[in-house]
Amino acid sequence: MVAGLAPVIEPGFFSNGPVQLALTVGGVVAVVSGLVGTFTVVRGQSFAGHSLADIGTAGGSAAFLLGVSPLYGFFAMNLLAAGAMELIGLRRPRGRDLATGVVLGAALGLAALFLYLDTTSTSTTGATINVLFGSIFTLSTSLVPVVAVFGGVAVGLVLLLYRPLLLSSLSADLAAARAVRVRLVGAGYLVALAFAVSLSAIAIGAILSTALLIGPAATALRLTRRPGLAMAAAAGLGVLATWLGVLLAYDSFYWQPSSQGWPVSFFVVALVVVLFLAAQAFVAMRERRV
Amino acid sequence: MLTDKVWRAAVAIVVSAAVAGMTLGACSSSGAAPKDGRIAVVAAENEYGNVASQIGGRYVSVSSIESNPNTDPHDYEVSPGVAGEVSRAQVVIQNGIGYDDYMSKIESASPNAKRRVIDVQELLGLPDSTPNPHLWYNPVTMPKVAKALASDLGSIEPVHASYFKANASKFVASLDPWLKAIARFKATFPGTPVATTEPVADYMLEAAGTRNLTPFSLQADIMNGVDPSPEAVSIQDGLFSHHKVKVFVYNQQVTDSLTQSFVTAARKAGIPVVGVYETMPVPGYDYQSWMLAEVKALYRAVAAKVSTVRL
Repeated sequence: MVAGLAPVIEPGFFSNGPVQLALTVGGVVAVVSGLVGTFTVVRGQSFAGHSLADIGTAGGSAAFLLGVSPLYGFFAMNLLAAGAMELIGLRRPRGRDLATGVVLGAALGLAALFLYLDTTSTSTTGATINVLFGSIFTLSTSLVPVVAVFGGVAVGLVLLLYRPLLLSSLSADLAAARAVRVRLVGAGYLVALAFAVSLSAIAIGAILSTALLIGPAATALRLTRRPGLAMAAAAGLGVLATWLGVLLAYDSFYWQPSSQGWPVSFFVVALVVVLFLAAQAFVAMRERRV
Repeated sequence: MLTDKVWRAAVAIVVSAAVAGMTLGACSSSGAAPKDGRIAVVAAENEYGNVASQIGGRYVSVSSIESNPNTDPHDYEVSPGVAGEVSRAQVVIQNGIGYDDYMSKIESASPNAKRRVIDVQELLGLPDSTPNPHLWYNPVTMPKVAKALASDLGSIEPVHASYFKANASKFVASLDPWLKAIARFKATFPGTPVATTEPVADYMLEAAGTRNLTPFSLQADIMNGVDPSPEAVSIQDGLFSHHKVKVFVYNQQVTDSLTQSFVTAARKAGIPVVGVYETMPVPGYDYQSWMLAEVKALYRAVAAKVSTVRL
């Protein structure tokens, strides 16, 4: 099998340390993003999800000033922002976009300040690229247990809340009538969302993490309306895009004589879009046939 | 109604604070020009500034823009005060090759026919595509800079031309211990394999006859602050784990989780680490003693396996 793929896979792919780490972390990130993202799409909160990720840049850039992994910064900031969103009331669509927009602006302003301080007062290099577009090949192996715990908690939360979350996502009124504590369930979901976007921020960057959150989930929901199946498909598609992205980034090292690879974030996001378009085309064809 | 008032008050406060800030900023940047008749020299990097002080002596007032050894000069952002200083300078020294692009921008924004600009890239006749901008580590660079400085300062103040010229010769002669140390290293340890994080000291490493086994793409990616390719990272890891290099030359001023992991890997493999700097570490060093200290650290690393992380 692997031997048959030799023309596509450049030598040393599977034995390469940074690649192994990227496949492991990227896999966890894609699964978590797919599971949580399905609810984000069903709840119609794509903008909130994207904003949460962008707000995380303030935390990620502050982490460089403190000398800790940006993952902790992303998560702390995302959790804070998720709490603020919940307090403001994500369920009211009008106030929601306005409040999210204002908080987003303030957070990006802070990120601009922190990134400036990172580069002018410390020896840190590449913080901007790292925070905005991710740096999956330079992750430290010591981060793997943390990623596993973060991912485990997020998946656990989603599975634990699955039924009430699904009901309140489809119809909050109906859920409330059936004695579901809609607000509490919503808060639990936001915590899972905070985990998901911080994980994907370290993989493909805060700005691009929505792509992995929304893209595979939206694609899966085009193909099936069954929530459980959609979640599984979203996780699978996310893993496919991430692993293929890592492979293409690895291969791109050999494309130019200068031996400089292209960024993995670009490949992952491009593949997410390609998968979505392919699903669109597939569904359109299926509908025409019927 | 009330909120409307609050908003107006808030806007008024913010606007007046911003205006006050701008005025203050403008005031503070106007006092830099020397009023004592000395020639105003501005150097983009403090190593060039140091050489300018040695050549100009008591007749020049030198200020250097980049002198913080804890930050990455590649990420420098210019402030209005610096722009003012450069626009009033009579002699400007800059590295070129994109290392200090902001200097050319300030110069063209404040044209001054009398200002003399020493662009080290031009002085050495190097193309824009030169991959390694850290020219001050090259032994051929500073003698040329010293001569250009002496001639520019001499034409501004012809009375002191011979003084500047004598200082330049004295400076060139004082580089001798450094050049000898490089030659000694090259003769004692020919073809020493080394690993680096950045091309910062590559010109000197080349002069010392070492072989830099780190892929240039990795050095360039770290220098430019972009993601390196996994191939390059694992080649570098292999240099340490397979003991293929005798010393790891590490840029103190540009660090991230990746460079830290290389330091750890080198330590684990028992490979000595030598820290190098992009700007001259101050206080305590002038250009000559700094360069000499770097070569001595390299020598100690290879001869006695001693690390010198900070100078």
